[in-house]
Amino acid sequence: MTTIQDFSGYTPTWCPGCGDWGIGAAVKTAFVQMGYSPSSLFVVFGIGCSGNMNDFLNAYALHALHGRSIPNAVGMKFARHKTPVVVIAGDGDCYGEGGNHFLHACRGNHDITVVVHDNGVYGLTTGQVAPTAQKGFKSKSTPAGIIEIPVNPLSLAVSQGATFVAQGFAGNIPQLIDLIKKGIQHRGFSLINILQPCVTFNKINTYAYYREKVYEMPKDYDPSSFAQAFAKSLEPTYIEKFPVGVLYQVQRPVFTDLLPQLSGSTLLERSRYDDFGSLLEDFV
Amino acid sequence: MQKKFLWKIGGEAGFGIMTTGVLFSKIASRMGYHVFDYNEYPSLIRGGHNTYEVLISDSQVHASKQEIDLLVCLNKETFTNHRARLSVPSTVIYDEEDFQIEDDGYKKINVPFKKILRETQSPAVMINNIALGASLAMMRWDFEVIAAIIEKNFARKGQQVVEQNKKVAQLGYTHIKNTAATFISSLFPKVEHEKKIVITGNESFCLAAASADCRLYAAYPMTPSSSILTTLASWAQKLGMVVRHAEDEISVINTVLGASWAGVRAAIGTSGGGFALMVESISFAGVAEIPLVIYLGMRPGPATGMPTWTEQGDLLFAVHAGHGEFPKIVLAPGDIDEMAALTMKAFDLADIYQTPVIIIADRFLAESHRSTAHAAFHTLLSSYKPDRGKIQPTADQTNGKYLRYKITEDGISPMLIPGQTGIYYQSNSYEHVEDGHTTEEAATRIEQMNKRGRKIDTYIKNHFTLPTVIGDLKSASFVFVSWGGNKGPIIEAMKTLQEKGIASAYIHFTHLFPLNEVRIKVLFSLPKRYILIENNSHAQLAKLLRQETGIHITERFLKYDGRPFYPEEIVNHVTRDVQRSTKI
Repeated sequence: MTTIQDFSGYTPTWCPGCGDWGIGAAVKTAFVQMGYSPSSLFVVFGIGCSGNMNDFLNAYALHALHGRSIPNAVGMKFARHKTPVVVIAGDGDCYGEGGNHFLHACRGNHDITVVVHDNGVYGLTTGQVAPTAQKGFKSKSTPAGIIEIPVNPLSLAVSQGATFVAQGFAGNIPQLIDLIKKGIQHRGFSLINILQPCVTFNKINTYAYYREKVYEMPKDYDPSSFAQAFAKSLEPTYIEKFPVGVLYQVQRPVFTDLLPQLSGSTLLERSRYDDFGSLLEDFV
Repeated sequence: MQKKFLWKIGGEAGFGIMTTGVLFSKIASRMGYHVFDYNEYPSLIRGGHNTYEVLISDSQVHASKQEIDLLVCLNKETFTNHRARLSVPSTVIYDEEDFQIEDDGYKKINVPFKKILRETQSPAVMINNIALGASLAMMRWDFEVIAAIIEKNFARKGQQVVEQNKKVAQLGYTHIKNTAATFISSLFPKVEHEKKIVITGNESFCLAAASADCRLYAAYPMTPSSSILTTLASWAQKLGMVVRHAEDEISVINTVLGASWAGVRAAIGTSGGGFALMVESISFAGVAEIPLVIYLGMRPGPATGMPTWTEQGDLLFAVHAGHGEFPKIVLAPGDIDEMAALTMKAFDLADIYQTPVIIIADRFLAESHRSTAHAAFHTLLSSYKPDRGKIQPTADQTNGKYLRYKITEDGISPMLIPGQTGIYYQSNSYEHVEDGHTTEEAATRIEQMNKRGRKIDTYIKNHFTLPTVIGDLKSASFVFVSWGGNKGPIIEAMKTLQEKGIASAYIHFTHLFPLNEVRIKVLFSLPKRYILIENNSHAQLAKLLRQETGIHITERFLKYDGRPFYPEEIVNHVTRDVQRSTKI
């Protein structure tokens, strides 16, 4: 059995009260509860306050470029499809800079778990607006308020083929632990979007704000229904409310299941090809 | 004297010119000749003009020639475009129903392509097979050879397609036999029966990547590298390779970095525009010390440029690609054999130095076929043994913690393939301490920069290879300096010059970056006329040499119209100048 301590690296440098503390604790607790050790899984970090978790979490890890952690994770899965791969990213990281990778990874149902810290701002660059910020949000880069409406990661994920879509709140750690565990256990592309207060640069979306605006899924909610999930994921577009819990979960073959090359051993472990005579016959 | 015969076919895009050209090359090779081919096509699928030329010779040949011996015109444009390359011994095959040719002294042969299509109720796309049949009759080659190759080539499309293609080819063949017997070429006899393969630079890369145990190849289609993606994709299940067409080039490079980090050999391929998108991630590979092999196929830029033509305009871009300072290796093969050898070496170097290695190739090399001995190539592929350097499945834990970025004398740290129980580490795009954690501390920064920098010294000492010198530097009256696919036209030009009694030599660069100043300077220390030949307008190799070694080559023969050099152009450049200097 591992302990939280096994996964604990450097002391986090997040601001006191930052939602990232809760997410960091939930990630480590989920790993411990699932029986993982720092040697048994791969973690890819994006760039931002979220990605800074790289120094605070022990694992085989890659601290990637801004926006590119998803393709790194997809590549790890090609090489080692039996190893769990978790991505820790931010909203600007995953939905802005890396938006294209995000939607295509949903399509491919790559078996990775993407944990997104959604705080509506670019914290590490001192508070410019993020693609998830609400329309009109004033920031250093949008002093008159952002003109665009926010990206909707939940409906984007549901519509583009993700097979596990959940939303959590950094102020509810027990639920976060549960969602992260379910996301990793799920075979396929899992998104866990986490509403995360940035206590330094976002004075709108505070803990108090989210405590008032988040709501649990209704009892009769069926996460296997695409229609219900899509409707639920669209609600924040017209009501300033945020559903939390598992919005969508269905089973679909994961990308590597559909590669006959990977039906036996992993790409790393398979033996080397050596029938060059047969390849050369194409060119005679 | 080496005998050469140039066959060329042209016609509207979409009518199988490319397929016919490759078949002609393979048939010529099967008949015992050496071949080199070159094709031109516009960046569209239908409506433009495609051409394909195949040079046949009795000994190894490395480039085409300007004078066309047999021109097959599937439309009038082919004749008009190539009139200047015909001479009195040339033969032209055309359809009188299509257009007329004035009597300029060429041998003219009417082949009723359209009539044959009508009478056999064949679709228009089969015109190329009539032309192929007619061409082979002109060469006096057996119809059985063409029948066999059509069967192999069209087998996927079903027996009916095979039979119809054979039938129209036979009609073209018989037409020549019956009506044009006096015109049939008395081609020089074939000289060898050694089994050969006919491959492009790109296909050579594919074969070498398979041999080098590359397990993941990712790309986004872009001429002239696309055929690597499609060739490897067609082999993927046989090889057990994962071949990934990702959503964009940034995903391509980062997918491969993820897999390479996880322990498998992996490569990517692209062209200038896609490479530009990858550049930030090349820098990432440099600092995180992740092995990476990049194939960069060059076409004329800037921007979208001339997508299907050739240029050598990305050398300095490749050399300087990536923000910040980190070790990077750039290799440039000059022909299909060098492509195979350098591709295998690139995979070793990427592993040994845990850094990006770029293989740079002009479109001329990437998409031109050449014949080479089957047995030697097979031996090259099967005798290769991967050298993974300090990449290891288990790490030494006796001294306590495993250090991913351990300071070492040669700059190379042991790289543990992630997974060993009891150990974990992070690879980091930020500057980092030895165990991988982020740092901004001054002394550590210098230590890690110096550590990575020492890899360059180690490479220069252990793996840098001097340019190949072809010919004899001492007795040469002038010395060509070049790289990449220019190698072929230069070698052919040197043969012609030799026949004229002019001795020349050629310094052919393959290991383009980093360069060893001291050793290279020796090659440029003779009181000779050094002539730089490049397929670009900025003389990029000359700039690189000046930057890295202080060598300054002032005489430059540059071509940047999207076309490769022809040996005759090089000969003319040199002899014109010889005459001029004689007058002075």
